[in-house]
Amino acid sequence: MRERRRQRRRLRKGERGHLIDLQKGQVAKVLGLHNDSAAVRRRLFDMGITSGVEIKIKKIAPLGDPIDIELRGYELCIRKKDMETIDIEVIE
Amino acid sequence: MRIALVGNQNSGKTSLFNALTGAHQKVGNWPGVTIERKEGRIKGSKHTLIDLPGIYSLSPYSPEEEVSRQYAVEEKPDIIINIIDVTSLERSLYLTTQLLELDCKVIIALNMSDLLDKKGIKIDSKALEEALHTTVVEVSALKGTGIDKLIKIINENQVLDNVHLPIYATDIEKSIKKIEAELEGSHQRFVAVKLLERDPRYQKSATDLDQQLIKEIEEKYGLDTEEIIANQRYDFITELRKKVCTFGPRKVTITDRLDKVFLNKFAALPIFAAIMFLIYFLAVGVVGSATVGWIEELMEGLSEWVSGALENGGASEWSISLVVDGVIAGVGAILSFVPQLIILFLCICLLETTGYMSRITFFLDRLFRKIGLSGKALIPFIVGTGCSVPGVMAARAIENAEEKKMTVILTPFIPCSAKLPIIALFAGHFFGPNSGIVSASLYFFAVIVIILLAYLLRKFVFKGENSSYISELPEYKLPNFKYLFRDVSEKTLAFIKRAGTIILLCSIVIWVLLSFNWKFEYGVEVADSILASIGNALAWLFYPMIGHWSWEATVSAVQGLVAKEQVVSSMAIIAGLSEDVTEGHLILAEGGAFGYFNSVSAYAFMVFNLFSAPCFGALGAMKRELGGTKAMLKAAFFQTGIAWVLAILVFLVGSLLTGGF
Repeated sequence: MRERRRQRRRLRKGERGHLIDLQKGQVAKVLGLHNDSAAVRRRLFDMGITSGVEIKIKKIAPLGDPIDIELRGYELCIRKKDMETIDIEVIE
Repeated sequence: MRIALVGNQNSGKTSLFNALTGAHQKVGNWPGVTIERKEGRIKGSKHTLIDLPGIYSLSPYSPEEEVSRQYAVEEKPDIIINIIDVTSLERSLYLTTQLLELDCKVIIALNMSDLLDKKGIKIDSKALEEALHTTVVEVSALKGTGIDKLIKIINENQVLDNVHLPIYATDIEKSIKKIEAELEGSHQRFVAVKLLERDPRYQKSATDLDQQLIKEIEEKYGLDTEEIIANQRYDFITELRKKVCTFGPRKVTITDRLDKVFLNKFAALPIFAAIMFLIYFLAVGVVGSATVGWIEELMEGLSEWVSGALENGGASEWSISLVVDGVIAGVGAILSFVPQLIILFLCICLLETTGYMSRITFFLDRLFRKIGLSGKALIPFIVGTGCSVPGVMAARAIENAEEKKMTVILTPFIPCSAKLPIIALFAGHFFGPNSGIVSASLYFFAVIVIILLAYLLRKFVFKGENSSYISELPEYKLPNFKYLFRDVSEKTLAFIKRAGTIILLCSIVIWVLLSFNWKFEYGVEVADSILASIGNALAWLFYPMIGHWSWEATVSAVQGLVAKEQVVSSMAIIAGLSEDVTEGHLILAEGGAFGYFNSVSAYAFMVFNLFSAPCFGALGAMKRELGGTKAMLKAAFFQTGIAWVLAILVFLVGSLLTGGF
């Protein structure tokens, strides 16, 4: 249960990083994902996190994790751990 | 015909099921309300409708989703009604495109939500029908519009044939065709796509040709086929959505505004605690104290009237005692708690249908992950405040097997509605004006114990991996008052019915065991009765937590296995029969059979009844979810052991603090 906390980077428009780096108010495009768990990876695809989809950070849980993101017109909650596995490019 | 209802979680399947069949299945506003398939008959027809747990794809993630995949693919329904929540059109169509790969006719039921107008979304269902070559019907499961049209289409079988619309890039479609050519049996296109994706379920039938095709594709795209298929499926949907659906300007929704409060960094936890506190405070404190007085008078009047009437009618002494001291005392003791239960059921139903419950899982996930559970474990815990049986079953939606087992074992610790009479009885008598606070304190006591035990279990028993938390956050909804009323009255009636059946039967058995000795002589002192001797054999177990040798409390607590409220019923009968002169129905009256209880031993006894093995109904549910009698018994002994230790601790610490020694 020990967690490795990666330092978050502040991304500017056009920069690439992971979904975890995205700030509230920014919009990103998904480039791909590389989750260690095949089942979780599949689930993320199924929920619409595929190449090219636009994602926004919507709400952050009071304890800081998980995070509610908006994509494809709906809201999805995922943990920071899984957000680290999603590659993005900031577009706005 | 057999017609299956398939759709995403929380898309309104069960509401549509209820509208189509006239049934009253449980609905809620969180993903995963339905965990088992349910069957019904479509109104005015012979067609069977099957309600299935919500799925996002035909590659299921959790065990209850497998039920749906299995039914849709392997049991070959004649028609699939694919319900789509229009507010999440793209994600819903992802499942639709998979269903259209099956050899099955598909009707799309567009569940038009009120939110649609508010969000400024417009959708052209005719265009959708043409683009997908499948029948599309607009319905509103909640308002009941479009239902007749849907039934008519089914009855007249006006469903468009499934043409297996190509949706992928040409090279992928070509490969699918090649794989299909090798296949026999049904769902060839579906199976071909699964083979291409390397779905583990179909790996056994994979051939060299498949491997060759996969290799070619993956080299060309530089991605694995699973990702390519998912990408292209969503690409097709994104294009489709642009054609059939337009968004208005984005507005801040009511949900966003409410979440600013309910998910506020500082306020979220206090608000949650306040809500849970309020539920118990309202039920036991406010409503309980208001009703307990006149209900007691009512029961007293009733038993006087009945015994008078029986005496006048010439009934024998024992039959009067059976009716008055057995049945009326036992069943009446339970029925007097109906007002408290109505409040509890009402509050739980509100939590479940408004969408707040999903928020609880969201903001407590972090905390629960620390102790080795998923935030999703909160759903069983909250459903369990009504009844442990559906609570334990709700644990099925937890994907991770270890987390699920822990949740199943811990859910019965939450005070369920049947334990409320025990709490209300003791808290009302010993804590008077503070009874609401005391009963809420028991709830939080249970939560703390659950957190501690989860941590320990995770550390020493279930050491497996932690699961992920991927869940959609539904919009808030106003409760549907018709449903609210029906849900609360159904649960209340079920409780009353139980009082009239199981509790009635038990009351008679208890009366017999109390009125006879082993030689089967009637009219013995209760202390010489069969029940007393059984209780005396086990009373040592309870001595350390109540500080008194009491066969009465012992036998009553054991009866909690039948139904938790039976504890109160048994105490009422014993107290009544022990009295030389019946002085109303004050179970805990001084000088009576339970007169030795004080506030400390009362709290300890409540704690024991709260945490010990649940009733047989819940044990049955635990057996199903844990996968066997042995695992269930282990869990039950674990729970009872914890209850025993905690009760003794409470008694010892409480006695020390109050100087009771």
